[in-house]
Amino acid sequence: MAASEAGARFKKDTVNKLLRLHFKDEKTKVSADALQLMTEMLKVFVQEAAARAARQAQSEDVPTVDLEHLEKVLPQLLLDF
Amino acid sequence: MTLERLKAAVHYTAGCLCQEVAEDKEIEFSKQTIAAISDITFSQCEIFAKDLEMFARHAKRSTINTEDVKLLARRSQSLLKYITQKSEELASSNQKQKEKKKKKNEGESKGRSSEAQVQPMMADSEELDT
Repeated sequence: MAASEAGARFKKDTVNKLLRLHFKDEKTKVSADALQLMTEMLKVFVQEAAARAARQAQSEDVPTVDLEHLEKVLPQLLLDF
Repeated sequence: MTLERLKAAVHYTAGCLCQEVAEDKEIEFSKQTIAAISDITFSQCEIFAKDLEMFARHAKRSTINTEDVKLLARRSQSLLKYITQKSEELASSNQKQKEKKKKKNEGESKGRSSEAQVQPMMADSEELDT
């Protein structure tokens, strides 16, 4: 089955509902493959946010990632997505 | 599902993913950071959804397909590469399943071409549920 490596992931059902929340046209649908790709996309988004914030915290030599670290990496994160 | 439950679902998965990163990098995430990451993810979905819908409409479709998702990943070279690769994996695993089905159903031909698998389908037909 596609995308079968271990680890946490978003459910397709959740992603579908998240997207539908914001469609302007009710007729808009999402193909099964596109939905699968979107779960990947969201997973990468969270992983990137976490990894970049973690790197920021490590560069400041602290053992816990806090909001300030996330805040510092947020602008570039949002430019990349 | 209510909005709250949807947010909770995002928060749960975001928490699991953060935990994976935490173990990998040997660092801890504060609760507020995880909550913020999941909030940001939730809001980012609005941008994703609106972009996807417009890309599909621009192509005169009402169904969002993998090409639209690739377009969504255009801003980062490595993200685009990753998404394109995932898309190809999906396409080839669909192809294999199709061939399996074809072998099973050999004889009762339905007169469909081999690329019929690209047909868009409603998202809730969970045929490749993972």
